Formats: sequence, structure tokens, C-alpha cells
Amino acid sequence: MTAPQAPPIVLTTQALVAGYERDLPIIRGIDLSVMRGEFLTVLGPNGAGKSTLVKAIAGLVPVHGGAIRLDGQDITASPAHTRVRQGLAFVPQTENIFTTLSIQENLQLAAAILPKDKRQARIAALYDMFPDLSARPRRRAGQLSGGQRQMLAVARALVVKPSILILDEPSAGLSPKVVGDVFARLRAINRSGVTTVLVEQNVKAALGVAGRALVLVEGRVAHEGPAATLGDDPVVAELYLGARHSREAMAT
Amino acid sequence: MSPQILVDGLISGAMIGLGAIGVTLTYSILRFANFAHGEFISWGAYFAFAVSGLLGYLSGGLAAPIGPFSFGWSLPIAAVASVALTAGLALLVDAVLFRPLRSRRGAVIILVMASFGAALALRNLLEFIFTSRPDYYTTNLQIAMRLGGGMRATPDQLLCLGVAAVLALAVHLLLTRTAIGRSMRAVSENPQLSGIVGIDIRSVVRMVWILGAGLAAVAGIMTGLIVQIRPEMGLDLLLPLFAAAILGGIGSVPGAMIAGLIVGLAEALTVQVFGAEWRAAVAFVILVAILLLRPQGLFGRPE
Repeated sequence: MTAPQAPPIVLTTQALVAGYERDLPIIRGIDLSVMRGEFLTVLGPNGAGKSTLVKAIAGLVPVHGGAIRLDGQDITASPAHTRVRQGLAFVPQTENIFTTLSIQENLQLAAAILPKDKRQARIAALYDMFPDLSARPRRRAGQLSGGQRQMLAVARALVVKPSILILDEPSAGLSPKVVGDVFARLRAINRSGVTTVLVEQNVKAALGVAGRALVLVEGRVAHEGPAATLGDDPVVAELYLGARHSREAMAT
Repeated sequence: MSPQILVDGLISGAMIGLGAIGVTLTYSILRFANFAHGEFISWGAYFAFAVSGLLGYLSGGLAAPIGPFSFGWSLPIAAVASVALTAGLALLVDAVLFRPLRSRRGAVIILVMASFGAALALRNLLEFIFTSRPDYYTTNLQIAMRLGGGMRATPDQLLCLGVAAVLALAVHLLLTRTAIGRSMRAVSENPQLSGIVGIDIRSVVRMVWILGAGLAAVAGIMTGLIVQIRPEMGLDLLLPLFAAAILGGIGSVPGAMIAGLIVGLAEALTVQVFGAEWRAAVAFVILVAILLLRPQGLFGRPE
């Protein structure tokens, strides 16, 4: 007898309408499917609704229409804290760690939903994965550098072994070298089997690590395709991904 | 100047500190100044008064004084019941009033004004049930013991000091060493991120009410034991409670306790130097001074 296989689609949204005000939706009917193990990046100009889309999926922005399914289960009406238990991990763009708590306490908070006998082992595994954090676990998280904070936020999200990891602009405010480190780590996490969705403004870096890309415009999916070719499309690049990226794509 | 002000100040400061812990937790986690908190002190005192009176009526032996203290076993048993009943009252007020207002995501000022309304309703209900006449847990007289250095205190007063110290330490350990304490600190810092991490904010809110109201009940019982029980006892403590919570730094439990002792000592000093009529002004002066000079309080961090 073989073990039951997990469904190939981890996350779907169907005709999703979401926004802070019911009569002013920012997301206007998005259909999205994320396959198990894939690395999807969501791109688009400012105000396209990228962050609102992932916040709605995480349960932080009201959904006014459509449905969100995680591993086949309808989570549209679930509060944010139960979506974590169902396997959805979200790393917000800013304020994504508890700065007044220590590194260890940040990880312990996330581990609280695991069975008691598995918490310490899981935190230890995360310290192995992120050695920078293990040096001084009692250090207050607010004292960490920008890159270390992002790593702590990602580690915190991975504590629960999520079905899907969603990150909202992890490169924001980081130096190019640190962005490179963060993205290399994200690629390694994805290659370890964690389905990853990345919202990014840094188009070049995002297309460099992702397998598939979506371009949002005015709350709708305007383009979709393999990351390797989407950036080479001069029309898409010029219109939606920024002229600088367009020139770089053309040059290469 | 009599050294007795040290004892008097510490005893009244311990009661202020216990009440201020509830104020500081509500303020930092629910993000509004709950002016009904003083009423939990009054209701806690009256719950214990009613239960201990009933126990004394049912069994006279329970009212007989324990050792050097002025009260019998009926009061400690009633105190446990009072903590549970006051916590239940706080949860009821939250369910009926504050939770619906929070779910509408209204302005903080609406919650603050609602707490004023709740305070008025709770105080008048208490007066309606028990009248405004002062009551006492016991009429037994106690002789104050010499503590040295010209200071005296009754066994009841020393017990109250000890209980306050133990409770403040217990709450501090709960917040710093347990999972629910970590969750409370997390929600205090960032409620939205707390949800993303998997914390059920509703259970943290319930814990805040239970803890704050339970400590308020103990503060009320101590005040009733050492002074007297009146429906306005919570209202009289309200300004010192807020002065201590802000002086200690919003969200800091040790800060609230230490600041409570500072406010209590300042009140005792003022009574001796300027007269009892100036006592109520001290908390106000401390409140204004700390808001002007160090708004984050002694143990808080600047925003």
C-alpha cells in the first residue's frame, strides 16, 4: 500500500476580490494556482495590489468575493491564526519580527502550535539552517541588522513546516549584497521542498530565483509565464516591470 | 518627619501597584485606558464581603480570627471566590460592551468613553445593592507591632504587603517565562503579526481581563481589610492607578508595581507634610510631571 500523495496544487484563489473597503476593492477577481514545490514570484508596478493579494491570502485583508483554498480546504473565512495551523506561513514586508522579544522567544512563539515534544528539536533544526541566529539566541531581536531580521522572520515562518511560504518584499531596505544573501537562502529553502510565493519590487533578483512569474496590474493578472522568459519580453518589461529592467533585459 | 510614612506609603502603594498592573496590561494589549478598572477593585471587595459574610453565617467557626490576623478563614476563601467572580464580571463587560466596539474597529476614544459609562453603571449598581454606607470585613481591633526605627504595622498590613509582593513577582514570571506570557507580550507589541504567528488573540484578551480583574479584586480586598469597603473605593484609587501605570511605563509589570509604591510613598509624605486634604493631588502632580518629562515612564521605551 502506498502513502496518500499530497495534492499537486497547494494554493488556489478563485475570482478573488479583496480590499480594505468593500466598495473599493484593490484585488479585482484574481484566479491563481500555486503548484507544490514551485517558486512563484508576483510582480507589478506600485499600487498593482501585490501586497494586498498576499495579505488577503494570509487573512489580514478582508475578502469580499471569491474563494481561497489551501491544500484543498476552503480558508476564505478562516482567521489569520488558524491559517498558520493549516500550513500557510506569511512574512510581511515590515514589522515581521517581535523586536522586544529575544531571537529564541520569537521562535518559541511560532513553535507554540507544534506538539510540545517537537518544539525544541524544530527550533534546533532552524538554528542549524540559520547559524547567524544561533550565536546569541537571547539577543533582543530589535538589535539585529536588517538582513538578520529578515532571516529571523523567515526562520520564524518555517518553524511550523508550512505547506507554503509567502514573502512580501523581503529585499525592502536591504543593501544589494544582503539582498543577494537573502535570495540565495530563499532559493535553497524552495529547493528543500517548500512551496514559495515571493512578492517583489526587485524584479531582476526575483526573476533570478523564481520559476514562474505573475504580473499584476490594477488588481488583475496581466501577464503570467516562466520567470526566465517573462523578463525578456520587452513589452511586459517596459510597461510593467520598469524601464531600467527593460533595458537590462534587452542588453542581455 | 515620622518614619511611619515609609510603612503607610508602602502599604497603600502595594494596593495601587496591584491595581496598576491591570491598568498597564489593558492599556498595552487592548490599547485603551480602561476607566472602569477601578470598579473591578470595588466589586472585588464587595464580592469578598458578600461571600465571607455568607460563610460566616453558615459556619461561625470560619469567622474566628486566624492567629494574629483580624479575620477568619472565611475571608481567604471568599478572596478566591472574589477573584473568580471579578474575572467573570470583567469578561462579561468585555463581551457586552468592549468586544462589539473593538470588532467595529472604532476610534480608541469610543472605547475610553464606553469605559466611563461602564464605570458609572457598575458603581451605581454596587451602591444600589450594598448602599453607600461603609462596610468592614471584621470589627476586631488589631494592635500594631513595633518594627524598629519608630515604625509600626499591624499583622494584616504586613500580610497585605507580602501578598502584593508575591503576586507582582508571579505576574512578572508569568509574562517572562511562560507561553501565554510571551503571547501577551507579542500581542502588546504587534497584534497583526501575532495573528500571523498563530496566536489566538481572543484567548490573550481573555487572559488580560482575567489577570487584571483578579489582581484588582485582591487590591480591593486589601483596601477593604486595611481601610474600609465603600462603592467609591475604586473611583478614589483610579487616578493613583493611572499615575502608577504611566510612571512605571505602559506594559511594564515591575514598573507598575514599583511606581505604585512611589505613588503610595509620595501620598504618605504629602499627608504628613501638607495635610490629608492634599493627598489626592499628589497622583495628579506625578501624572502631569511624568507626561511632560518622560512620557514613556521609568521602565518604558520611547515610541
